[in-house]
Amino acid sequence: MKPPLVKRLWKSFERTRVGRSIFRVGLPESRLERSRAMISSFLLHVQPAKVSRRSLRPGYTLGLGLISLYLFLILIATGVLLMFYYVPSTDQAYNSMKDLQFVVSAGLLIRNMHRWAAHLMVVFVLLHLCRVFYTGAYKRPREFNWVLGVGLFLLTLALSFTGYLLPWDQLAYWAITVGTSIAGYAPLVGQKLRFLLLGGHTVGQEALIRFYALHIIVLPGVAGLMIAVHLWRVRKDGGLSRPDEPGDLVEQVESGQLPANKTYGLMELARGTTPQVGKDPEEEVSAWPHLVFRELLLFLLVVAVVLFLAIFWNAPLEEFANPVHPPNPAKAPWYFLGLQELVSHSAFWGGVVVPGLLVTALLLLPYLDRKRAGIGRWFARERAVANTIFTLCLVAAVVFTVIGTFFRGPNWGWVEPWKQPPAVTEGP
Amino acid sequence: MNDLSMRKFYGWFTALGLLVSLLVVVGFYKDTSRPWKTYQRQYIEQEIRRASTPQEKLLAETTPVEIHQILLPELHRVDRCTTCHLAVDDPSYAGYPEPLGYHPLHDEHPFEKFGCTICHRGQGRATTVADAHGDVPHWDEPMLPLKYIQASCGQCHQAADDPAAPELARGEQLFEDRGCRGCHKLHGVGGNIGPDLDNVGARRSPEWLRKHFLSPASVTPGSAMPPQKFSETNLEAITMFMLSQTGEQVPGYYASMKVIPSSSEGQRLFEQKGCIACHSIGGHGGKIGPALDNVGVRRTPEWMMRHFRDPQAVSPGSVMPQFGFTESEARALTDFLLHLRDQRVVLSLPALMTPVERGREVFHKYGCAGCHGPAGKGGVPNPNAKTAEQVPGLIHVADGYTKKELKARILDGQKEIAAMDPKRPPPPLYMPSWRGTLNDAQVDDLVAYLFSLKPKGEDLGF
Repeated sequence: MKPPLVKRLWKSFERTRVGRSIFRVGLPESRLERSRAMISSFLLHVQPAKVSRRSLRPGYTLGLGLISLYLFLILIATGVLLMFYYVPSTDQAYNSMKDLQFVVSAGLLIRNMHRWAAHLMVVFVLLHLCRVFYTGAYKRPREFNWVLGVGLFLLTLALSFTGYLLPWDQLAYWAITVGTSIAGYAPLVGQKLRFLLLGGHTVGQEALIRFYALHIIVLPGVAGLMIAVHLWRVRKDGGLSRPDEPGDLVEQVESGQLPANKTYGLMELARGTTPQVGKDPEEEVSAWPHLVFRELLLFLLVVAVVLFLAIFWNAPLEEFANPVHPPNPAKAPWYFLGLQELVSHSAFWGGVVVPGLLVTALLLLPYLDRKRAGIGRWFARERAVANTIFTLCLVAAVVFTVIGTFFRGPNWGWVEPWKQPPAVTEGP
Repeated sequence: MNDLSMRKFYGWFTALGLLVSLLVVVGFYKDTSRPWKTYQRQYIEQEIRRASTPQEKLLAETTPVEIHQILLPELHRVDRCTTCHLAVDDPSYAGYPEPLGYHPLHDEHPFEKFGCTICHRGQGRATTVADAHGDVPHWDEPMLPLKYIQASCGQCHQAADDPAAPELARGEQLFEDRGCRGCHKLHGVGGNIGPDLDNVGARRSPEWLRKHFLSPASVTPGSAMPPQKFSETNLEAITMFMLSQTGEQVPGYYASMKVIPSSSEGQRLFEQKGCIACHSIGGHGGKIGPALDNVGVRRTPEWMMRHFRDPQAVSPGSVMPQFGFTESEARALTDFLLHLRDQRVVLSLPALMTPVERGREVFHKYGCAGCHGPAGKGGVPNPNAKTAEQVPGLIHVADGYTKKELKARILDGQKEIAAMDPKRPPPPLYMPSWRGTLNDAQVDDLVAYLFSLKPKGEDLGF
């Protein structure tokens, strides 16, 4: 059977002098070449040359982590394009948005993509966190990677929140005013923290430039680095989580215990296990193409979804920010509306204790829950208690967010979204 | 086995690749098919049809389809209206249907310097019909209906003496005569019972303003403002004047055009700058400088213009200081001085007026008439006030107050107005304190004026 035309063209390009200089290993044909292709490529070497069939099953990970990564990449690409037009000044920021919409080629489309990818990233990072919880994948030796993951979740929220201010419209201005005032409820440090974040007591030029710097360089830089470590740890902690099997979890050789009159190969010093050790070759397939191609397909799917949303639904842009005319109600970004709803009941409990406890619990989770049963399976019966607690917290968070988003009207009063809102009378 | 599984991938790659490509094409199409391009092509077709020589035809055919914009950094505006309204400066398009109509009257307001939205409002940066005309949610400045367009003259020009905006001038006159300032501040002068009006024209629509004048409580529940009686023309005029108060500060060149040179403006400047301290007119005034009664005969207008800019340049040894008059101020003063030749001018100079006359000016300027009626005759409703549910008139104050008591009353005001029926809401209007707004001399003059209101021939005793 003749290989397809594209492949033949590619092959002939690879054989040229230029082609050979770029690709250390060409399109691989044999099993050996496939392994070499994975190991010798910069972009691919973070992944194993062979993967277990288990890891490829889409039903296990649902690709949530990878989707989050792709959204991050889309955000960087579109964000850089937006930076070419955006001016972080209270005079010009809003006009940049208008110019993007009306005269910049594909400006609106790119802004929409950025907005939708940002919302989706918040959702998918949270879903990824849920997946890892429900499959018990945070247990030893992956405890620290879970902690990194929780950090990345918080960073995602921070990235989205800092980006929210940049259009400098009413939506942005008041969402940030409300959002940062929630931060102000923290005891002792709250007001100082808010001042530090805003560079003043109200949202103004100083806040805009701070949020801009955080949004375009500080937070993405930190997030990018943490993502790299997160992925690297996935490899080093033994690939995707799976149920314990005999031979797993070989104790690390403590350097103090090593007899000094012996030489050691690197393998002997390596910690834990790698997926290959002690496994039947039949359970594994080459990462090229089985893993790499699936990943590429998923990328195309994510791009398609983001493009689709961006083409048909515009990112919101309200009136120019007006510090003396707050909307009623002024709402934080949607992912903080659960928090705002809690704060409306009690600033201290809702704004400090509950979120503080939740984040602390998430960070400490792998060190508290150390039972080994039920790792690597969804909703394992052995983890019923943990799963129930987590689900309750999750449902509560979703319920509060839905209430804050849809059921709160003027003066944070209860409204039913399917009913016509009462006519708001204007002040003098 | 491997080739087989590869085939499966190819199918997926093809499908998803096609999907992404399709979406890119749709996105690209949506981005490039903008309505303004259709308008430009229509204009180009029109131009080709009208071309009479091959050169003109070639020029029309090679007109690029592109965004046209007027950059107005001083006005913080970018106006892209001419992207669709391509023939605004071409008189041969007079009478064409929009967007290809011709815009007359641009000799004094060239588009390059003014753009469009400073007068017409709307959204200059936008390039779709609804967005540009401002008929979209989240845009506070829809286009100003053409019948109110004079309101925009007031953004740069003093309304009173803009010959092109008579209705606006009438609106301003009404504003002062009806005593609106008694309750409302405008440009820092006025009372504080009602809200400041400095940017009311940007906040309110014409419809809202009209409704509000006729029945304030119908659009602002609980408003203390009494309903106003206006004829239809006056209602339009006062609405127009309110619309002109947008609070936008025009800079530099535009602000310098505030004064449209006229002899009445010259007179105002003459009074305001204290020229009378050194010069005299009709025997009144200082003796340091020459009398000005017949200066228009002695000097040419050019001489005067030069003189205002730099007195010493044309009259060596003159002690007259340089006032730094703008071009138009100098022209206004020149007009005024030339005018002196033809007719007698009655100067309203504080020093030349009686206390009663000055008091009348204070009464007028601070809007006392808004509550106490024109010339203090009363009749303004104040629901539930003990004084017959009206704000009391002032013509009899001379009977009940000493001058000293009246002065204290004006300075202190009276926040609590006695209610007729304690169960009903308290009377909305009250006497504000004028301390800090009026100075001592002004209050004295005002008291003198109020005392003068007592009708002639009435006895003190009863």
